Amino acid sequence: MISYEGIINAIVVVLVGFGAFFFLVGTIGLVRLPDFYSRTHAATKCDTLGAGSILLALAVFNGLEPSSVKMIALAALVLLSSPTSGHALARAAHRTGLDYWRLDKE
Amino acid sequence: MKNAAVASLLVIFAIPLLIAVAELPPFGDPDAPIHTHISARYIEQGVEEAGAENLVTGVLLNYRGFDTFGEVTVIFTALAAALAVLLTSGGVQYFQEDRPPAPPKGADESERPPTPVSPVVLFVVRLLAPFIGIFAAFVILHGHVTPGGGFQGGAILGAMFIVLTIVLGAGKVRPRLPEPLARWLQGAAPLSFVLIGALGVAFTGFYLGFPPEHSLHLVRELMMVVLEIGIGVGGAAIFARIFLAMEAD
Amino acid sequence: MSMAFDIFLLLFLIGTALAVAHSKDLLAAAILFSSYSLVLCLLWQHRGAPDVAMTEAAVGAGITTVLFLVTIGRTKRREK
Repeated sequence: MISYEGIINAIVVVLVGFGAFFFLVGTIGLVRLPDFYSRTHAATKCDTLGAGSILLALAVFNGLEPSSVKMIALAALVLLSSPTSGHALARAAHRTGLDYWRLDKE
Repeated sequence: MKNAAVASLLVIFAIPLLIAVAELPPFGDPDAPIHTHISARYIEQGVEEAGAENLVTGVLLNYRGFDTFGEVTVIFTALAAALAVLLTSGGVQYFQEDRPPAPPKGADESERPPTPVSPVVLFVVRLLAPFIGIFAAFVILHGHVTPGGGFQGGAILGAMFIVLTIVLGAGKVRPRLPEPLARWLQGAAPLSFVLIGALGVAFTGFYLGFPPEHSLHLVRELMMVVLEIGIGVGGAAIFARIFLAMEAD
Repeated sequence: MSMAFDIFLLLFLIGTALAVAHSKDLLAAAILFSSYSLVLCLLWQHRGAPDVAMTEAAVGAGITTVLFLVTIGRTKRREK
């Protein structure tokens, strides 16, 4: 017997798990990746997908309430601002002539 | 001899102060007057008396309005002094000799035009800046009901100006904040306190006195909103001006 | 649980404060100070002071960091 609450909880668990996975992978990438560009890439994934899907999970968990609208607005804000800041960082680094990592450079 | 006189004078002054401190109730004592009388009064009657749903704002602007007046005056005088130092030195000087020399990357390096602003960043900032402004206005105007108020909203509004300055360039933002207007705006916080203080004299005979009658609930709320707007606008103006003074064109 | 969260935040706070004090790289110190402010903001919120938390987030983590960064950009990055 599948109840409505069960479905909601399943969606929340899947979304939080997705977000936590991206946070973990992004953090590992931030520590382990070789150069600035790939680290920025990892950190941006971490913010966008991780925080975004966890905020969505919170909205689903709250149900149809004013606070859920705020959560979705926050998720939209993160979805806009995080890639933009990543883009600005990478662009600034590229413009100042920061070299990227290559296999033959090691 | 002189040092000994100063030291003995200090000791003579210190003894009564230390005795007075020892007489104070111990910190965190639940039987201290502040917990049995003052806090209880604020919590039980603060919303009714101060006219603000948000107790923090009620205490800050109504019960302790005079302290906040002093605080605002001190903060804004300090900020104005910092701004004065920045403006008299003709903007901040570059320490060129301290910078590492730019890596040589070919002859055309010096002739490269300055980096244009990324269209992505430009679009997103243009999209988000009005929302930041609305949020700042909400935080300022709604400070007596929900957490927030003039200081927080002013910082958010100033941050909006800073983001716009970084992305659009100081040359585009500076005309929006003309010198004579900004000079008045950065004094908005103490000026609003003076205005509301004078209103308080008219109402109750006391500087910054809020009318206590039950029927004047709306007046108390409006006075608080005016104070919040003054603090917010003043804070935003002075943050924006400090940043503009540090930013070259 | 709530207490554990507080203790974790406080330990993080002490860690970032020590890192700010010990860092010779002023840019890193400014960024660390920003993270210190964010953790302090979470702590205020968790202790039930949302007004102070908002001030900390807007002024501590936002404006102060920007002003520090501009100042470092105008002067020197390393402490002697």
